[in-house]
Amino acid sequence: MKKIISLTINDQAYEIAVESNKTLADMLRYDLDLTGTKKGCDTGDCGACTVILNGDAVNSCLVLAVQTDGAVIETIEGLATDQGLHPIQEAFVEKGAIQCGFCSPGMIMSTKNLLDKNPNPTEQEIRKGISGNLCRCTGYQKIFEAIDSQKP
Amino acid sequence: MLLPKFELHEPVSIEDALELKQSHGTDARLMAGGTDVLVLLKKKVIFTDTIISLLQIKELSQITQTNDTVIIGTCATMAQLSASPVIQEKFSAIKTACQSLGSHLIRNRATIGGNCCNASPAGDTIPALMIYDAKVMIESADNKRELPIKDFFKGPGKTDLTPNEILTGFKLPIPPANSGAHYIQLGKRQSSEINVVNVGSFLEYDPDTKKVLNTRIALGSVAATPIRAEKAENLLKGKPAEESSFYDAGEAARKEDCKPIDDFRGSAAYRQAMIGVLTKRTLQAAFEQAK
Repeated sequence: MKKIISLTINDQAYEIAVESNKTLADMLRYDLDLTGTKKGCDTGDCGACTVILNGDAVNSCLVLAVQTDGAVIETIEGLATDQGLHPIQEAFVEKGAIQCGFCSPGMIMSTKNLLDKNPNPTEQEIRKGISGNLCRCTGYQKIFEAIDSQKP
Repeated sequence: MLLPKFELHEPVSIEDALELKQSHGTDARLMAGGTDVLVLLKKKVIFTDTIISLLQIKELSQITQTNDTVIIGTCATMAQLSASPVIQEKFSAIKTACQSLGSHLIRNRATIGGNCCNASPAGDTIPALMIYDAKVMIESADNKRELPIKDFFKGPGKTDLTPNEILTGFKLPIPPANSGAHYIQLGKRQSSEINVVNVGSFLEYDPDTKKVLNTRIALGSVAATPIRAEKAENLLKGKPAEESSFYDAGEAARKEDCKPIDDFRGSAAYRQAMIGVLTKRTLQAAFEQAK
C-alpha cells in the first residue's frame, strides 16, 4: 500500500506516494530522477548513497522513504547554483579529488555535513568525517586535500 | 537489492506498539534505526510481513537522569549518545563504544536498543552497558520487567525477549566516586568494522588503601554472546590497584573466561591473546580515570 508523504528536498517541496518497502535512495533515484545520489553496496557499507537528512549525513539506502515524511533532505543536486559549483565541488575539481566519480556525490555530502558542523576540522576529524565513504580508486589523499583546503 | 513487501506500522505511543506486538507476535519484526533490520531483509537473512517501527515514539529516544540513575531510551542513537553531556561525563565507556560502531553515517541512525536486540557477540554497546551494570527494561501489553543485561543474551541473534515483548530502555546506576571505565574495540580498520575482539572494564578503588573495591570486565566476540569475565573480576577484587594486578586479571580473562573461535576475522589464539592485552589496557585506563 502506498502512503503519501510531503518533504523538502534541496529547498523544494515534494508530495509523493511511496510504497513502505522503498528506500530513500530508490525514491530519490527512480521516482524523483535525482540520480546524483549513487547506489553502491545498498547495505550501508560504502556511503555512495550519502544524503543529509534533517541535518545529519545518513546512508539513504538504509532509510525507508515513508519515514522521511516531513523531513528536510539535501542531495548533491542541491549544491550547485546558477552561479556555478558549490565551493566544496570546486575544491574537489581543483585538487583532482575525483577519478571515476562514483563515490564523489556521497563523499561531497559527507564533507558538507562535516564542515556544516565543524568548519575548522583537524586532520583526524577530516579523515573520520569521510570514513563512512569508500573510494575504490584510492583517491583518499586528494579528497583529504580538497576538504582541508576548505578550512578558513 | 530490493526490500521484500511488508506492512509498516508506526505507533506513536508505547501502549500502541505493545498492542501491535501482542496481536502480531512473532510475525512482526521491531525496527528502530533500521541499519541492521533493513540489511538483513535485503540479504534475505530474515523474513517478515510486518514491521513495527519504534521511531515515532518520542519518549523512547530520550536520555533521562534522576538522582542515582540514568535511563537511556531504546531508540537513542549512537550519535545522540556520544554527544550527550551525562553520557560523556558519567558513562565515558558507553560514549567510546557508541563512537566505535559502524561509520558516522550509520551512527546517525543506529540505536542502542537495536544494537542489543541484534544480539551480535561483537556488538559494540553491549560490553559498555555490561560494565556499568545496566538493567534492560522490558515491557509487554500486560507486564513490565527488568533484567540484568548479562542475562539478556541467549546466543548469536537470540535474546530473552518473548514474542510479545519490547525492550524499551536501559537503567544505569550512576557510578560511584573514585571509579572509572574504559572500552577498546579491535578491528582490522577503524571505521565500518565488525570487531575482532572488544573489551570494557569498570573499576572502583579505595583511595586510602589503594585497593580495588569493585570491578566489572566484559568481553565481546569471544563467545556465543558478550560475556562478563567473572574469574578475572574475582581475582582483581581486593588487590592493589596497580599494573601487575591488571596484568594478572588480563591473564585470567585470557586463560579462563574467554572461549573464542577461529573465523575469517581472526584466529582463536589471536583473539585470546588480545583479550589479555585489552583487559589490562582497559583496566589501566579505567584506573587513570578513577584516580
